[in-house]
Formats: sequence, C-alpha cells, structure tokens
Amino acid sequence: MLTREEKNRVALLQGTLDLLILRILLFGSEHGQGIARAIQEQSEDVLLVDHGALYPALQRLESKGWISAKWGNSENNRKARFYTLTKNGRKQLLEETSQWRKLARAMGRVLGPEES
Amino acid sequence: MFGRPRRNPQDFSDELQAHLALEAQQLKKEGIPSGEAEMAARRRLGNMVQSEERFYESSRWIWLEQLRKDIHLALRQLAHSKGFTAVALLTLALGIGANTAVFTLVHAVMLQSLPVANPSQLYRLGDTNDCCVIGGYQGSFSIYAYPLYQYLRDHTHQFEQLAAFGAQPSPFSVRRGGDTALPTPLEGEFVSGNYFTMFGVHAAAGRMLLATDDASGAAPVAVLSYRAWQLRYALDPNVIGATFIINGANYTIAGIAPAGFFGDTLRIDPPDLWIPLSAEPIVRGQNSILQHAGDHWLYAIGRLKPGASPGKVQAEADLELKQWLLDQAGSNVSAKERNEIGKQQIHVTPASGGVGSLKEHYKEALRLLMLVAALVLLIACANIANLLLARGTAGRIQASIRLALGAPRRRLIRQTLIESILLALFGGAAGLVVAFLGTRAILLLAFRGARFVPIDAAPSLPVLGFAFGLSLLTGLIFGLVPAFISARIQPAEVLRGANRSTGNSSTLPQKSLVVLQAALSLVLLAYAGILTKSLGNLEHQQFGFETVGRVMVSVSPAFTGYTPDRIYAVYQQLEQRLPQIAGVQSASLSQYSPMEQTNWSSGIHFEGRPEGESASWLRVGPHYFETIGTHLLRGRAVEQRDTPNARMITVVNQAFVKKFFPNEYPIGKRFGMKNPGDYEIVGIVEDAKYLDARDSAWPTFFLPLLQMTKAHWAESGLTRSNFIHDIELRVAGGTRDLEPTIRRTMAEIDPNLTVLKVRSFGEQVSVNFNQERLLARLTGLFGLLALLVATVGLYGITAYSVVRRTSEIGVRIALGASRADVVGMVLGSAILQIGLGLAIGIPVALWGAAILANQLYGVKAYDPAMLAAATAILGASGMLAGLFPAVRAAGIDPLQALRTE
Repeated sequence: MLTREEKNRVALLQGTLDLLILRILLFGSEHGQGIARAIQEQSEDVLLVDHGALYPALQRLESKGWISAKWGNSENNRKARFYTLTKNGRKQLLEETSQWRKLARAMGRVLGPEES
Repeated sequence: MFGRPRRNPQDFSDELQAHLALEAQQLKKEGIPSGEAEMAARRRLGNMVQSEERFYESSRWIWLEQLRKDIHLALRQLAHSKGFTAVALLTLALGIGANTAVFTLVHAVMLQSLPVANPSQLYRLGDTNDCCVIGGYQGSFSIYAYPLYQYLRDHTHQFEQLAAFGAQPSPFSVRRGGDTALPTPLEGEFVSGNYFTMFGVHAAAGRMLLATDDASGAAPVAVLSYRAWQLRYALDPNVIGATFIINGANYTIAGIAPAGFFGDTLRIDPPDLWIPLSAEPIVRGQNSILQHAGDHWLYAIGRLKPGASPGKVQAEADLELKQWLLDQAGSNVSAKERNEIGKQQIHVTPASGGVGSLKEHYKEALRLLMLVAALVLLIACANIANLLLARGTAGRIQASIRLALGAPRRRLIRQTLIESILLALFGGAAGLVVAFLGTRAILLLAFRGARFVPIDAAPSLPVLGFAFGLSLLTGLIFGLVPAFISARIQPAEVLRGANRSTGNSSTLPQKSLVVLQAALSLVLLAYAGILTKSLGNLEHQQFGFETVGRVMVSVSPAFTGYTPDRIYAVYQQLEQRLPQIAGVQSASLSQYSPMEQTNWSSGIHFEGRPEGESASWLRVGPHYFETIGTHLLRGRAVEQRDTPNARMITVVNQAFVKKFFPNEYPIGKRFGMKNPGDYEIVGIVEDAKYLDARDSAWPTFFLPLLQMTKAHWAESGLTRSNFIHDIELRVAGGTRDLEPTIRRTMAEIDPNLTVLKVRSFGEQVSVNFNQERLLARLTGLFGLLALLVATVGLYGITAYSVVRRTSEIGVRIALGASRADVVGMVLGSAILQIGLGLAIGIPVALWGAAILANQLYGVKAYDPAMLAAATAILGASGMLAGLFPAVRAAGIDPLQALRTE
C-alpha cells in the first residue's frame, strides 16, 4: 500500500540490500528490525527496506557465511535474533563497497553534473 | 543445497514474531496509537506466511519433496496406461535380462578373481596356456620342469610364496578304503606343498597340504574338494583322516578345501582332489617326470611380498631362467645354444583370475555376445522411446495445461525423465529374473558336456550393480527424446488445435526410431544367419569317421606297475567281452579318439632319407577303423595278428602319404621314431579329424597297442602311449542305457580301469562346437527378438498415425481417393521406413561383418545369400506390420470420420 510519504523514496536496486545489511553490521551486531531501521535512518529516510525481503536476505547472507546469528536480548529486553558480521563478510563488504563506488562514479560521469 | 546448517522453521517464525514486537514498540515510541502500531508493523512485514514459505523453499529438503511428488505422479501415470506399461516392461525385461545374463558370464569368466585371499597380489610366471608336457625351449616360458620350479622358488625373493601345479588336471580313480563299491573317477591335480598357503586358503575341515607333505618319503596325503565331499561322501566327518585308494595306492585325506574353492583356474570340471607333487612318482611309477629337467609340465603362481613389484619379479625370474638353462646345458655349450638361451624369457602376468584358460577360449565369443546383446537393448530402447513419444503426443494437452498454469519447463522434463527411469528400473528388476533363467540356459549351452562348471547363475553383487546401472542408463536413453519433445511444447498452439491433426512433423522422431530399429534388426538377423550357417558347416562336415551309432567310453587306466604282458591280457579280455554286450556290434581300443582334442606328435625318420620329419600318431587296437567308420583305402588295418611280439607295422592316413610319399607307393616303406626301420607301412586310411574341426587332418600314423621295443618299456613317456584312454563301440540303432553294463564288465575285467564317461560320437563332436553354438543360438534368438520388437514398433507407429489422421483420410476419401490409394499411402510410409532401415543396415552389416571373420567356417562374412534372406525376412515382416493399419485406414467411413471431428 503506497502512502504519500513514501512517494519520494527510492526502491532498492537488486543486490544492494545485501551490501547495506553488511555495512550496517560493521558497527556491531544487530537484529533484523534494527537493521531495517538503521538503513532507513542512515539514508535519511530515502531507502525503505521491505521487511518481507529483509529476512530472506539475512537467510541468504547467513548461508553464505558472511554473517552469523545468535539469539539475544534487545536493549529493551526483548528476545531477538542478532546478526554479526563474520571475517568473510567483512572481506565481502570491502569488495562490494569498492565496486559500488566505482559503479557510482562511472554512472555519475555518464549522467553528467547534477541539474537544478 | 547440501551442507547448509539446517535451521528449523519454528526458529524463523520466532524471529518474525520478535520483529513484529520490536517494530510495534518502535512505532508506539514514535507516537502511533498502540492498536494501529501492531497493524502497521504487520503490514510493513508483508505476508508472513509467504515469508515463511520462502524460507522453507530455500531449505534443501524441498527437492526431495518434489521428487516424491513426481515419483508418485509417474507411478499413477504408469498404472493408468496398463497396456503401455506391460509392453514396455516386457521389452525392457528381455533387453536388460539378455544383457545381464551375458554379463553374468562375462563377469564370471573374464573379470572375477579367484575365491582366495587378496587375489591382486598373485602373479603368474608366464603368459601362455601351453599344456601338458613340453620339452625344449619355449621362448616365452609359461610351463616349468620341477627342478626349474624349485630353482625359481628358491631364488626369486620378490615372492612371499611361489607355488606350482600341473598344467592339466587328470582323472584319478578313487576308492575309499574298505569300500566295496566301484572306484569313482575324480579330477585330480598335482600341487606343490605351499599351494594352499600361497593362495591363503584355509581348510573347511581337517588341514590343507603343507610343505612337509611335499617331500620325498613323506606319508602320502591328499586334499578333497568340498563339492566332492558333499556329493560323494555326504559331508561325512570320518573322511578326514581316512585312507583312500587313489590309482591303486593308499593316501590319507588330510582335509577338505573350503566350499567354492575350485583351484587355480576357472575351468570346466575343476579338480576335486589335490595331491602333493612328491606323490607324482607313486602315481606315474616309472613314467614319473618329476625329476626330469627337460620335461616342462607345471604352471607357477606366486604371491608378491609387500612392496615387491611385478617388474622386479620379472627381472629376477628372467635372469634365473637363463642361469638355470645355462647350468643345464653344461660347460661345453655351443655358441648357438648359448645364443638361444639368451633369447628365453619369462613374462610375469597378473594372476588374480588364475591361469585363465576359459578366458582365452571364450574371450572373442563373449565380446561378440556383449555387442549383440547391446544391440538388442538399443532396439528395445528405440521401441520404448517410440511408445513414450506416442503417449507423449497424447499427453501434450495435459503438459500444455500444466505449462499454461505456470509449471516450470524443467519440472515437466524432470517428470518425463522420472517416468522413464522408473519404468527402466522396474524393467531391470524383471530383467533380473530373465537373466537368472537365461544364465542357466547359457551355461548349459556354453559348457555342454561338462559335469560341473564353477559359475553361479545367481546374480552376484557386481551383476546386480550392472543391471541397476544399465537400467538407469536405459531409462535415460529412451527418456531423452520424449523429454526433449515435451520441453518444446508450445502450449498455446497445442491448446488451440487440440483435436486437429496438424502436419506430420511430430512423427518424424518416431519414424526415425523405426528406421533405426529396422537397420539394427537387419544387422542382427544377417549375423545370426551367417553364424548358424557356419555352425551347420562345422557340424555336418566330412569328419572322416561316423558320428551315428557310435559310442565312446573314456577310461582312466591306473596301470602303474603293470608289465606289458599283463596289460595285453587285459586288452585281450576287453576285445573279447565287449562285443558280447547286447547291442554292441564291434568294439575297439585306442590311446585317444577322434575330435577329443588330444594329439601326440613325434619326430620321425624315414629309411633312406637324411632329414628328420614330424607327424601325429596314436596307438589303436584291432577293428579300430571299422568301429569308428574310417574307410580303409589300401592295404590292411591293424589286426588281431599285430601282437606285441609280432613284426612292427603302421597304418598311415592320406595326409601322411600326401606329405611324405607324394610320388611313391607307400605300402612296404619303413620309418621310425628312433630307428628308421622300425615300422613298416601296411595300410592307408582316409583322413579323419582328431584335433581341430576347422583344420584339415594332420599327417598321422597309427601303431598297434603294445608294439614297442622292449628296451623302451622301462624308459620314458613313450610307455604311456600304450595305456588306453578310449574304447569305441559300434552299436545297433536304438541301443540305450549301455553304461551300467559297460561299467560292470570293465570292473570285472580290471578294477583299475575306471570308466570316466560314456557318450555318443555325435555328442563328442558336438561339445567341440559349444562356443560356436552359443554364438549362433544366442545371436539367432536375439535376432528374432529384435525382429519382433521392430515389427511391433512399426505396426504401432503406423496404426497410431492412421488414428491421428482419421479425419484427414476421411477428407481424402470424401474428395475421391480410392481405397487402393489410401492403402498405398499408409503402406508406402511403412515401406519407406523399412527401406531406409535396410539402406542403412546393409552397409553396417557388411562393414561390421569383419568382426565375425574369425568365428566362421565354410562361409564368408560377406555372405550375399544370408544378407538377402535377412532383407527378405525383414521386408516381409515390415509389410505385414504396415498392412493391417493400411487396411483399417482404407475402411474409414468418411462421414463417420468427419462427424466425430
């Protein structure tokens, strides 16, 4: 259901969610809801994570061995599954980040200077 | 998909619940009323069930679940079309069964190891299957004199044990001490004392032979096979340690070999009795060759030491052989002989399967049979693929609907393949039953005349594995085409014209398969014809003796220690008493008999000729030629008057005359083995075959029994030529059950003359062609099978196309096509397919016929008559298969056909 406030938000490109998750986890372990919130906040509400897509993504990253999970208690004492970046995940993050930077720069060059 | 740590779905569900709670809490903190917060959180998470489902699908068990469903569906579909399933299963059972049966034989004869400990460590010194007793240099040594074996045993350090055994087991007459019954003949083998130790074989009861048993002066002992213990002595424990009279001498039975142990070689009628080499002089008396350095008669197999290599053994043994030969030659060896010794060598070969004489003998036939069986299976595959295709076309609508409803294409392909493989596995299971029965039939056919062949018809683990693998492969092969077709279905097109017959393009694969079947069937039929003709030529050739109304009695003479006079007395009694048996018209004695595949040959010298020659020879008694039906051409045969002390004479055959007296009158001429003047030629007989039915008769001379220089009696192996191994009887038509009378008469005359077997000359000749018969009969059977399958296939495809084209044919008839036109149209298509099949099959048959060339006798591999016959049979069957549907097509009522549209 689209509401008005979601209008100027950008849908996530395929494959970017994984990178964002890894990046958020760089600050320390976090549960799914926290990750979604963190992405939203750090993108200044531009990127909105579809919660339904979040958990399969977490599942995927876990199976690749980039993140690991453990049940724990949240700051307000609720049980939640906490995800932590693994050594491999850290490597993957570095790699993907540099690739994104390269892509973004290239896109910027092609698209030219920002108008308006 | 494997290897991922499994996470339980409940855990995932818990995580989603936790997420909802956290999100709701956050939203409330941001000021959203509590009822709405939960709703919003739930909304933002999306469909929870879907999320959970996605999690579930990503887990590895999903494909198993789908597989289970696919198998279930496949089983339902197979059960649904019973007729198709039955035909397919039957075809598969025959195809896979035939292959498995042939493989059982291949496995037993070619691949299986001896039932001994670690057979892969066994190596044989030598690589040929020379037999019996050989003198001189062999070039590549395979067979050794006892002193040579001892030398090799003591000097080859790469072997843990090196054992020796007689190259050919021979029948022994065996009687339990105190028994009054007639002695029984048992195949026995001389073996070295370490024989069983080397094989790592342990006694089923008592003990095996030891090195101490194989020493001169040791108490004579013997080991009995489990089979003989079971069959002859009902597993009587008192047999162990009992005294047995073997060829007249006393032995103690030391123990029983384990069940299933058949000695060093897979062979027909394997030994039941193992006797130490040191007992050879007891058995052979003055004819003993144990200490002869020049008579080679033992095979040698050894077990490698851990870490030893066959290459090192070869190097060692080679050197030892040359050293030993040089030692034997003495100090004044000529340069020429030294050079000759330098060329002698030993090839070390793996012996996990023993000496492998059956392997050598049946190698080529088995290879051909494998090929033929594979062709049959290929034809069966084509047939089932065709049936599946026809069904697939019928199932196109179903498949299209599934596709249209969103089923992935690979799921459809998988479904088709699963169905095929299931079908093949069921067919394979049924094939095992066919194989079991087939193997027994094949064994009977392949080893006709054998008392026992140590090959089990029951499928072993490798055979089961073979059948399973073959079934899988078969399923994949015949399932591929239909799977490919169903992958290309265009649902929209199929559903649009659901009931209309569109062009013929969809039957193209089916027609190609029929063409392939026809081609392969032609190849098989042509081969079957050629092989059968060759067998007929072999069996019905001019042998030079009669095969009808003749009986052969093979005997084992235990004449050790007999004087010539005593043997002569025995022979006199035999010649007198045997013709008195009711039904026996004449009887004769001989050293060996025609087509027994035995041959003695010696160097001979002719009076007045300097050069030495060589010829085959055997000793025969009076009436020999008339009894076996060999015609006397000139002079006289061996007669009553040719007593041991009479003037020494000989009768020669035509080949002998042709070779040695091309321009002279031979009667009255003299030749001899030692002295050129020994034998005078008194008669000429026609050529008869003794050794190989494919060869022409060898130059042969016949000597009277016991006519030899007395000085020679005490000396050497020539004495043995006077011991009869065969008695020939000419019997009146309809004479049966002679055997008990013969056995009784023989026992009365001399109990040391044990009857081994009684059989007709026809049978004696027939067993020579076991391999040819096996090939011809099986190829014939497989050819007929292929013809049947191909004909049914052609009928099926033609009938099916008529059904599909009913409306089209109706339109044609309505537009004025005559019945003859319709028949022609349908039949024409069938004939075209068969014709194409022939066009492919004939060149293939001609091209492949070269592999048969070695098997053939009196017929060329390119036999135009056989090829023409095969073509005619296939053409006729094809016409027949096409005719029925064609007639049915002609009977189509156009009104009816168009109305049902």
